[in-house]
Amino acid sequence: MRRAFLIFTILVIALLIVLLGAMLFGGEKLPFFETIKAFGGIGGLNEQQQRILWEIRVPRVLLGASVGAALAMAGASYQAILRNPLAEPYLLGVSNGAALGTMFALVFFGNLALMRPLLAFVGAGVSTAAVYTLARDRAGMSAERLILSGVIVTTFLSSAIVLITSLLDATRLRSFTFWLLGDLTSAGKESFYIAFGAVMIGLLILTWTARSLNLLMLGERDAFDFGVEVGRVRLIVFTTASALVGASVAASGSVGYVGLVVPHWIRLAVGSDNRIVLPASAIVGAIFVVVADTVARTIIAPRELPVGAVTALIGAPLFVYLLRKS
Amino acid sequence: MFTKVFQPKYFVLLTVFLLCCGITACQSANSARQQTASPNAEQQQLLQREVIDDLGRRVRLPANIERVISLAPSLTESVFAIGAGNKLVGVTSFCNYPEEARKLPKIGDTMKPNLETIVSLKPQLVLISTDSQLEGFLRQLEANNIPAFVTEVKDFDGVLTNLRQLGDLLDHPKEAEKLVSDLQTRVTLVQAKVKNENSSEKPVRVFVQISREPLYTIGKSSFLTDLVHRAGGESVTSGVETAYPNISRETALAAQPEAIILSVDESMGSQNTAPDDAFKNSPAVKNNRVYPMSGDLLTRPSPRTADLIEQIARALHPNAF
Repeated sequence: MRRAFLIFTILVIALLIVLLGAMLFGGEKLPFFETIKAFGGIGGLNEQQQRILWEIRVPRVLLGASVGAALAMAGASYQAILRNPLAEPYLLGVSNGAALGTMFALVFFGNLALMRPLLAFVGAGVSTAAVYTLARDRAGMSAERLILSGVIVTTFLSSAIVLITSLLDATRLRSFTFWLLGDLTSAGKESFYIAFGAVMIGLLILTWTARSLNLLMLGERDAFDFGVEVGRVRLIVFTTASALVGASVAASGSVGYVGLVVPHWIRLAVGSDNRIVLPASAIVGAIFVVVADTVARTIIAPRELPVGAVTALIGAPLFVYLLRKS
Repeated sequence: MFTKVFQPKYFVLLTVFLLCCGITACQSANSARQQTASPNAEQQQLLQREVIDDLGRRVRLPANIERVISLAPSLTESVFAIGAGNKLVGVTSFCNYPEEARKLPKIGDTMKPNLETIVSLKPQLVLISTDSQLEGFLRQLEANNIPAFVTEVKDFDGVLTNLRQLGDLLDHPKEAEKLVSDLQTRVTLVQAKVKNENSSEKPVRVFVQISREPLYTIGKSSFLTDLVHRAGGESVTSGVETAYPNISRETALAAQPEAIILSVDESMGSQNTAPDDAFKNSPAVKNNRVYPMSGDLLTRPSPRTADLIEQIARALHPNAF
């Protein structure tokens, strides 16, 4: 218990430092000390600088943190329930389902902002259900079978996305292509509220099921013997994880590697107790995306990179390193 | 357009370099083959000419060109404008101007031209613009022995040069020359009017919003930067690298433009119908100086570019007209 307390104190402090640091840098240079003062509520920035800070930079950093937390948590819970360290929203087709849902929202309800996360959640849910049904047979569900079904659903949905982008007009295609790479530039207050809400609810539900997840990692039969309602837990975890993926994909497209690298690293560092792994993944996922986005915002300022390109560039080598280490 | 970020120029240079290597390697084999060619083929060789396109490629072309395919809406417009539209045997599905262009056979869109359709139309020349990022496709055309001429337009003068080139290629030099001088006169007139009205003031600070999500604008190497300048304005993002940068909203907010031009596609339900929220306190929005303009005009360096310059000038300097 004391160990958990120590871990979370360190992580929360690290998150706060990273958030503050990320808010000090951006496409426009703001005076350093005046910006710090502004966080304390003391004036120092002029009106325009205030607006840059509060209307653009702060919402974007907070959205990045929420997206990172949601993706890392979803990844951690998939890995736990499938007992497979490679399980990830992308591998299971959940992200693609959410992406397809968002595309439908953009094509058919172009200007209704609320339809995006809603259809993304529906898309993520439907693809999770598809994987779930495909993977099930009379003997139950093996982890291998589930991953295979995930691959099938992923490739099918990727083709559907390619089909839609091919049918769409060039100008719309342009923003889609970038959005598919993961893009936080359209950070609005609403998408932050939705993503943040999803993270908080998801964190509560997943931490609450963490004990059952721990038992499930021993094997489904053993978990059942210990009194875990395997089917119900799985349904709850899958639904929560799809909601998390849906909210983050709707807000920022497909930011890759967060759900894979972060939980992996956490398990290497603190062991595999999900009561610690799940919330710790959320915090470190937030840190990872905020750092990556700060790079994306500043490295070629005043131009921007899509954040997904940066997370993949950092994430892929990091994952190889972690694989070798474990 | 977005792929400008990936600096296609380097890719082009690399392609050209690799092609050069390939050509030198094949030359010995070619000369051997040419010796066995029939006298008829030799005569045809004499009727050929060699031109250099905007990428510096040497292109061998027949002396008389009657069958042309255009892979860019801007080039289609230019070919029609110099009166050589009857030589076009294929255009892209985006080629919607002039009206006659719609009736021509389509070879796909600018992103994915269909090689089989192009081959079946037996073109003597394919026109390509660097704006469509088709450098990769160039190799496929070359593999099929279809000569391709690549144009790159960086400013209004480039539009004029391009028209002269097309006049030479398609044997309409007089029409091209007349059109060039007409366009030149019109634009010079606009510039004079604007200057007259604007003699003491600074140019109007303009932000061109190409798309809202993500926020795209015009940078250093876009031909629109030159057009805005000629129309008595100054692009607030003229110092930013690349032609169409994805600009930071923080920079957009700090830019405080006096006027905003929105690129609007009439044909498709465009989402670029209002300035980004970052501009809500800018002088442009406060004074209601937001001007939607045709995306077709804004993205195509063609004779209609003169119309666009007039349109921008009228918007920025209403009192001058």
